[in-house]
Amino acid sequence: MKRKSLLLVIALLATSGANAGVVDDLLRQYQAQASQPFDAERAKALWTAKHRDPETGKDISCSTCHTADLRKAGEHNTTGKPIEPMAPSINPQRLTDAAKIEKWFKRNCKGTFNRECTPQEKGDFLTYFRNQ
Amino acid sequence: MTTNTDTRILVWDFPTRIFHWLLVASFAAAWLTHEDNRFLDIHVFAGYLFLSLLLFRLAWGVVGSRYARFQTFAHRWPTVWAYTKGLLTGEASRYLGHNPAGGWAIFVMLALGLLISLTGLTVLGGEEGHGPLAGLVSFDLGEGTHELHEVLSSLMLGVIAIHILAVFVESFLHRENLVRPMITGYMKGRGDGEPVAKHGLLGIGIVALSIVAASTYFWGYMIETQDDPYRIFKGPTLPDNALWRQECGDCHLAFHPSLLPARSWVKLLETQSDHFGEDLGLDQTALDELRQFHTTNAAESRLTEPANKIIRSVPAGEAPLAITQTQYWKNKHRDIDETYWKNPRIKSRSNCAACHLDAKAGTFEDAAMRLPDIK
Ligand code: HEC
Ligand code: HEC
Ligand code: HEC
Repeated sequence: MKRKSLLLVIALLATSGANAGVVDDLLRQYQAQASQPFDAERAKALWTAKHRDPETGKDISCSTCHTADLRKAGEHNTTGKPIEPMAPSINPQRLTDAAKIEKWFKRNCKGTFNRECTPQEKGDFLTYFRNQ
Repeated sequence: MTTNTDTRILVWDFPTRIFHWLLVASFAAAWLTHEDNRFLDIHVFAGYLFLSLLLFRLAWGVVGSRYARFQTFAHRWPTVWAYTKGLLTGEASRYLGHNPAGGWAIFVMLALGLLISLTGLTVLGGEEGHGPLAGLVSFDLGEGTHELHEVLSSLMLGVIAIHILAVFVESFLHRENLVRPMITGYMKGRGDGEPVAKHGLLGIGIVALSIVAASTYFWGYMIETQDDPYRIFKGPTLPDNALWRQECGDCHLAFHPSLLPARSWVKLLETQSDHFGEDLGLDQTALDELRQFHTTNAAESRLTEPANKIIRSVPAGEAPLAITQTQYWKNKHRDIDETYWKNPRIKSRSNCAACHLDAKAGTFEDAAMRLPDIK
């Protein structure tokens, strides 16, 4: 139920148009649930912070697949599939679809940290990405 | 008229000699490339050249110069028998051009060659969906003909071996090198010998035409770029679906449904919450559309050669969850060295696009796979 209503909100937001709008709207949503202002530096540290994957016993971070430099193309760590750069300045497709952003935050935070990210962390990440 | 036995006279005109050696080259090229899918382009070109040469030879056997004409070496059986017996007793008489037994071998080789070409075109049209017979022969007929094509080619190799052996035996018996005339064209004269015309221009024409044909066929490889590699065989455009590309093409290549049986896809989608360690989190509407797309275009639809072969290689009761677990896939990749799979540039067996240029299109055509440089 929660998921459905979220999708509805996102769909409504998506119709609001401009790409900057997508990120702004998400940031506003996250901020309502976060205690501190968003900080790109904090996200940058979290981006490369290593966590041990209990299943494979290997260290993994966001940068394992996306690389530490957001302007570079990465590679999926198990399948080897190339992943386009995360920086919107290089890859204008990035951060244009709220549902996609939410989907991948959910997947990748679980896959990397073994838990979902908090609105605070997601806001930090988006602030970090959009300025690249 | 040249009657002196000591003089050398021209027996094999230029076109006949060119034909002989190009035929040798094209057969050898086709033979050496027949087992590896990567070289089907060379194999097929060699086949076309082989067939064209045979057709030329048929015409030249009618309108060509004296010793090249079929009439000259189409001997009756008693003559052939007498000659062969003579070989055993060392009394075989010497012939200019082909001897009676050799003449028969030529006819056998021409006939075998035409049959090999015809069956080859059938396999190419049926199994691969390429060449002049594409669309005219079914996959099953193509595949059924495959073995015949191979048996005929092995027979040809056998006849070639006998032909070479006979040339050496004869050369020894008559104390005359019979390989050289096929290069220079000249043989020691004989009472009734009559030199033939050179037909040099026609010979040069054949060589030039072969070079032009090869250049046209392979030219793309010379001008290809990393981003736009040259592919000789292009498969059909397979059914596509936007949701599929979006939901199944982010973590890995969107594997085309034709690569697994429908029952495998159904099971894969049912277990989407534990998909190789990932939770795909698809909702019911998305699942329904994906199931529909996957089952209608699954291997059972036999859209491509791999689809045909995969559906056959999976036992009825089984529903493998990976293409790389099917017997067909394992057989095809058996010869690839372990170092490739361990290499960071490839990472995983499922990274089809690392080696297959048309992985995204899903066609997995021959000659479209390149092992990356991992040194
Ligand atoms: C196992 C490899 C992997 C890891 C680790 C990973 N990602 Fe991703 N990420 C992907 C893939 C695959 C995609 C989707 C493909 C694409 O969009 O290019 C993606 C897409 C995204 C997107 C969508 C961006 C958009 O709008 O196009 C975001 C946001 C994202 N990842 C954030 C993260 C964060 C934050 C982390 C660390 C917590 C992380 N990723 C770790 C593989 C990974
Ligand atoms: C979140 C990432 C992710 C998404 C999205 C995803 N997969 Fe996968 N898939 C994987 C991983 C990881 C593997 C294991 C790859 C390996 O071992 O090389 C895999 C493997 C597979 C394989 C087996 C490949 C082989 O080895 O032959 C198939 C088939 C497959 N996925 C189908 C699908 C389909 C269909 C979808 C869409 C419904 C999908 N995948 C979406 C991550 C994903
Ligand atoms: C390391 C490189 C590599 C990877 C990765 C790879 N292949 Fe191949 N594949 C090859 C080579 C090389 C051949 C030719 C083998 C031969 O004939 O000797 C081949 C042959 C094939 C064929 C037979 C083609 C035909 O027309 O007969 C199919 C189908 C195929 N691969 C599918 C796949 C699929 C699907 C994947 C991913 C799940 C994959 N391959 C991954 C290298 C690779």
